Amino acid sequence: MFFSLTDEQRALRSTVRELLADRFPLSAVRALYDDDGSDGDPAELWKAIGEQGWLAVLIPEDHDGLGLGLLDAAVLARCWGEGCVPGPFLPTLVAAEAIRLGGSAEQKSSWLPRVAAGEAKLTLAHGGRVTQADGKLSGTVHHVEYAHVADALVVAADGGRLWLVDPRGAGVTVTVTKALDRSTVLTTVVLEGAAGQELPGAVLPDVLDRGAVLYANDLAGVARVALDRTVDYDKTREQFGRPVGSFQAIKHALADLHVAVTMAEHAGWYAAHALDAGLPDAALAVSVAKSKAGDAAREATAAMIQYHGGIGYTWEHDAHLFFKRAKRAEYQYGDPAEHRERIARLVVDGA
Amino acid sequence: MDLTYSEADEQFRAEFRAWLDANLPAEWRQRGFWSRQDRDEGFAMRREWEASKARAGFAGIQWPKEYGGRGGTPAQRAIYDEEMVRYRAPLTVNGLGLTFLAPTLMVIGSDEQKRDIIKPLLHNEVIWCQGFSEPNAGSDLAALQCRAEPDGDEYVINGQKIWTSQAMHSDKMFGLFRTSTEDKKHRGITMLIVDLRSPGIDIRPLKQMTGATDFGEVFFTDVRVPKSNVIGVEGGGWDVAMLLLSFERGASAMPQYTGFRRELDDIVGLARDLGRDQNPLLRQRIASSVVELECLKYHSLHVLTQVEQGKELGAASSMTKLQWSETHQDIGELFADVAGLGHQVSGDGVDDLQRSYLWSRSETIWGGSSQVQRNIVAERLLGLPR
Ligand SMILES: Cc1cc2nc3c(=O)[nH]c(=O)nc-3n(C[C@H](O)[C@H](O)[C@H](O)COP(=O)(O)OP(=O)(O)OC[C@H]3O[C@@H](n4cnc5c(N)ncnc54)[C@H](O)[C@@H]3O)c2cc1C
Repeated sequence: MFFSLTDEQRALRSTVRELLADRFPLSAVRALYDDDGSDGDPAELWKAIGEQGWLAVLIPEDHDGLGLGLLDAAVLARCWGEGCVPGPFLPTLVAAEAIRLGGSAEQKSSWLPRVAAGEAKLTLAHGGRVTQADGKLSGTVHHVEYAHVADALVVAADGGRLWLVDPRGAGVTVTVTKALDRSTVLTTVVLEGAAGQELPGAVLPDVLDRGAVLYANDLAGVARVALDRTVDYDKTREQFGRPVGSFQAIKHALADLHVAVTMAEHAGWYAAHALDAGLPDAALAVSVAKSKAGDAAREATAAMIQYHGGIGYTWEHDAHLFFKRAKRAEYQYGDPAEHRERIARLVVDGA
Repeated sequence: MDLTYSEADEQFRAEFRAWLDANLPAEWRQRGFWSRQDRDEGFAMRREWEASKARAGFAGIQWPKEYGGRGGTPAQRAIYDEEMVRYRAPLTVNGLGLTFLAPTLMVIGSDEQKRDIIKPLLHNEVIWCQGFSEPNAGSDLAALQCRAEPDGDEYVINGQKIWTSQAMHSDKMFGLFRTSTEDKKHRGITMLIVDLRSPGIDIRPLKQMTGATDFGEVFFTDVRVPKSNVIGVEGGGWDVAMLLLSFERGASAMPQYTGFRRELDDIVGLARDLGRDQNPLLRQRIASSVVELECLKYHSLHVLTQVEQGKELGAASSMTKLQWSETHQDIGELFADVAGLGHQVSGDGVDDLQRSYLWSRSETIWGGSSQVQRNIVAERLLGLPR
């Protein structure tokens, strides 16, 4: 019985945290907020991630990857949330999972080594209405992360099949939208008879579960740092001649958040492990993790604004970076209410 | 991450299950069985059954063998707790002695206390209650006033304890008494063992909101207690109490998880029976409770891992208590909303849920109220100023 991170996973976490804080601190995230001309995908960050081999985490060793588990990737995702780190890292991990799980031998060997080396960016385009006829895809998918910089799209079409699509190919239009959260870029992908290459495996549900777990861990990271920073501020900010953190109204709210965030952290680990180990309650665990993390991050980041007072409402303060990222990731790969409905299907309907 | 138990632990599980299969009467496991028993008779049945379980070696799982324990691992303790709940085995009648007194004595008891108290406790020869709270000392326990005046090699106790669980069924009490008034509030307190058959003791039951009389008041009038009944040292009672309460931590909340999850299944069954299982709002509420309970399970596995690694849990146990007690109250409210007005009416199938619904209101009060737990989390875990 061992429910915790291993020493190796803890070491990985420290390395990732340190490097991100050094190369891509919140001031760099802020620069994306202030630069309307940026493509939202800092090149030096992507290069560093590639050099570190972090994109290789889920790629099998026979495709030049590290062949580690979802729990290891979750450790990385948590660090991404902690630092509100931008870029197509998580989208690439998730879309690469689709190829790893459902791709043909040829699709795997043409994409996975390049992903591992940091040479290919991928993204999953799902949740839209895309029809397919004779290998040609048509339809619109909204809110696709980083399609404008991707080398390949993994598109979910009607019937749940997945298709590889070249975003620069004929019949594909990618439009960048302006999102509240600028630690991501959301695009609209319009397909008009675009050529697609089908992935043989019907793996969409599995890929969505993996996405949910990674984003749940990202959210747990967002929530934890939002809470820590609020606690730190309220320890020293004085009103009425005493630190505001000594007022019980604030203490109790932060204590409840500490419990909620801790639960979200443990749920994020458990769900990742449940998928790695194929535990019988894996589906339940995924939905528990995603709904808990979504709720905890929304509440912790809202508290970050509230318990900083006026300064917390400014553009200059970091609170809105956390708040907007939490709210964005809350809806990715299923929002809390959708996951609770899935839990009800499992527990009430016995599905 | 490795969520499997060792072979030895699984072997233990198999042995314990075999014993339960052979020795737990089937009707005891039926829903509502204990609600239908007369309370005194029910207590006697549980007392004897638990003693037979101890004789079979399924008690004091983690206690050293020299105290009559099994010398098992923390994982075996967790398995034991889990199986007890899974089998709907009756709750212990000596919980306060088992959880608090015996582990405390193993650390600071005199040789005589270790010899005379621990094993008889494990075999239910002596039932213990805990006399801490007083009318004017609840959350602020150190404000206690019940006086134990030194007199030669005895103390003379005068005063009152209140909310004493199982007072009417107990043989002895371990309690906190003021042995000196000169010192500071936390000093001058001594932990004493009191024989409840002593002259001068008057125990009056208090009826709880469930209608049961599971706690009471204990009045002391010139009750004489030998000085050898001190646990630890005179005036050191506060530190002993802190040590004693620390044994509640370290325990994972696996039993609560297992028990509440089954309650939730019963509520889901009720929703189906009443044709309310497709109501989208109720489905969301049911799922919310599942989320919180599953989180409690993961959290408990983490706690168990830390205990196995010999880590001090300290104030982190306040998180565990908040998570299970607040979640259980939400489940109680869910039961009421699923049953509608039916939650008011007793009848087969809902008696246990109804009782649990009411009982959950006490769980955020005893063992440190939720407000006190939040203070602990905020001050000791988050470091917020007092
Ligand atoms: C079912 C049950 C069984 C019990 N069994 C036993 C037993 O066997 N032995 C025993 O000794 N005691 C027992 N108790 C007593 C229990 O420990 C006390 O009820 C508890 O410590 C609270 O004390 P109190 O009742 O005096 O409430 P108070 O301390 O008066 O609390 C009143 C309210 O004030 C809040 N409050 C208190 N202090 C603070 C603070 N600093 N900040 C914010 N809010 C605060 C509390 O949370 C509560 O909401 C039992 C109680 C119950 C309900």
